[in-house]
Amino acid sequence: MSDPLQAAMKVAASGLDAQSTRLRIVSENMANAQSTGATPGSDPYRRKVVDFSSVLDRQTGATEVSVERIATDPSDFTTVYDPSNPAADAKGMVKMPNVNMITEMADMREANRSYEANLQTIKQARDLVSMTIDLLRS
Amino acid sequence: MRPIQLFQLAATQARWLSVRQDVVAGNVANVNTPGYKAMDVEPFSSLLDRMNEGNQTMAADSAMHLVSDDPNDAVKTEPVRDGVTIKPSGNSVDLPQELIKQGDIRSQFELNTGLVKSFHQMMMMTVKS
Repeated sequence: MSDPLQAAMKVAASGLDAQSTRLRIVSENMANAQSTGATPGSDPYRRKVVDFSSVLDRQTGATEVSVERIATDPSDFTTVYDPSNPAADAKGMVKMPNVNMITEMADMREANRSYEANLQTIKQARDLVSMTIDLLRS
Repeated sequence: MRPIQLFQLAATQARWLSVRQDVVAGNVANVNTPGYKAMDVEPFSSLLDRMNEGNQTMAADSAMHLVSDDPNDAVKTEPVRDGVTIKPSGNSVDLPQELIKQGDIRSQFELNTGLVKSFHQMMMMTVKS
């Protein structure tokens, strides 16, 4: 017989793990927002996205979350005119990464919010356990 | 007249609340999982009704099927049906709703442990001179 509160903490911890991976991907995207290719006409950095999936923990029977895979965004690159760039093609056009800062910001905020919610769950489970232990006192 | 089995009742409710907290944690963790359906536990009253009928364990289709004797499994979980908005990703978790549920669980748990504490004190008053 497993303790549901302990399982709850484990599930919330899996949520924290998944959201921090998401935050890592967001920061990778933002850091590489200007990463062009190295050779003329080559592809620049392609934006990454995380894919979540729920998994059943067989030991506790609880539904945890995990990062299923880190996929790439297939949308088109934008091009800018910059003949001096090493990645410029014959016409002087350079392909820029398909990273949109606003989208990344929104993604970051949402990861942040979900992280906080999971943290709140852990706090709550911990408080419930300590309330039970408090029965032995007094 | 049946005696009031407060400690047993309180333990059952505490277990129900723990299972509910576990389910809420699962919902919160999967708030961004595509296709995930939000879950909730059955109301405490229906668990209590089944217990009063003396049927505490899980239902089985056939007598040959194994049933778990884990008391946590006696609490049924089911997908939330009413008042859900399903997002384009097929996910039906409503984060504010889950946080409200957590608040409910907390206050009920506080009441539960407080009652057990005071009942215990009452028993001690009669036992000790």
